[in-house]
Amino acid sequence: MGHFTEEDKATITSLWGKVNVEDAGGETLGRLLVVYPWTQRFFDSFGNLSSASAIMGNPKVKAHGKKVLTSLGGAIKHLDDLKGTFAQLSELHCDKLHVDPENFKLLGNVLVTVLAIHFGKEFTPEVQASWQKMVTAVASALSSRYH
Amino acid sequence: MLSAQERAQIAQVWDLIAGHEAQFGAELLLRLFTVYPSTKVYFPHLSACQDATQLLSHGQRMLAAVGAAVQHMDNLRAALSPLADLHALVLRVDPANFPLLIQCFHVVLASHLQDEFTVQMQAAWDKFLTGVAVVLTEKYR
Repeated sequence: MGHFTEEDKATITSLWGKVNVEDAGGETLGRLLVVYPWTQRFFDSFGNLSSASAIMGNPKVKAHGKKVLTSLGGAIKHLDDLKGTFAQLSELHCDKLHVDPENFKLLGNVLVTVLAIHFGKEFTPEVQASWQKMVTAVASALSSRYH
Repeated sequence: MLSAQERAQIAQVWDLIAGHEAQFGAELLLRLFTVYPSTKVYFPHLSACQDATQLLSHGQRMLAAVGAAVQHMDNLRAALSPLADLHALVLRVDPANFPLLIQCFHVVLASHLQDEFTVQMQAAWDKFLTGVAVVLTEKYR
């Protein structure tokens, strides 16, 4: 899935280097849960998700968001083998977490909007293209072990 | 159904776009063609030369329609009926493409408004644009 050009890799890597994973993680997961409220179904144990501000301020949301983006960041060094990199996590999301892979696409798209917020004009159409490729490939890798 | 708060959020976002329809619309189309190249099949002349004037002109037209939808949030079906006919009978854009356009719309808003693009705005706007897409494809069959 997804062939990354050298330019894609350079774009993805350099942008990621400027991201605060903790902040971006909380923002991304928070926005997912607010914009697509049905995704809250996986987070019953997270406590107060009763309003947008509750969600965005929820410490468990922030912590989990950071965890997710840290994992994503780790994969950036292995863009040519995302399937291998995410094999175990794919099995986990299928067998233990029972997450519909559609959610990976939603999260990826929200991450792209969070990056656009952070980087503004620097987030050009070309940069967006590289990153949409990235999140699509990650979503595909995460669903590759579903059975 | 849109709540009063959502309607307010949608109107607030539109106030930030109004007056800049051409610029926003052109960037929207540019992002669409760059990020999702398959969408170019629906805009053969526009996407081939990507002439700035034409992009601005078509972008303006698309965003003006969005603006009309904002004015008639409570009755999208009636307000967008001619456009729904156009999409069903002439343009016949596969419905799978609307989420791609919507994603690019979010990115345009996000990159311009940055921190002003709150989570509530994103939620309301996504709900609204998804509703517009439903109306535009409703007469397909």
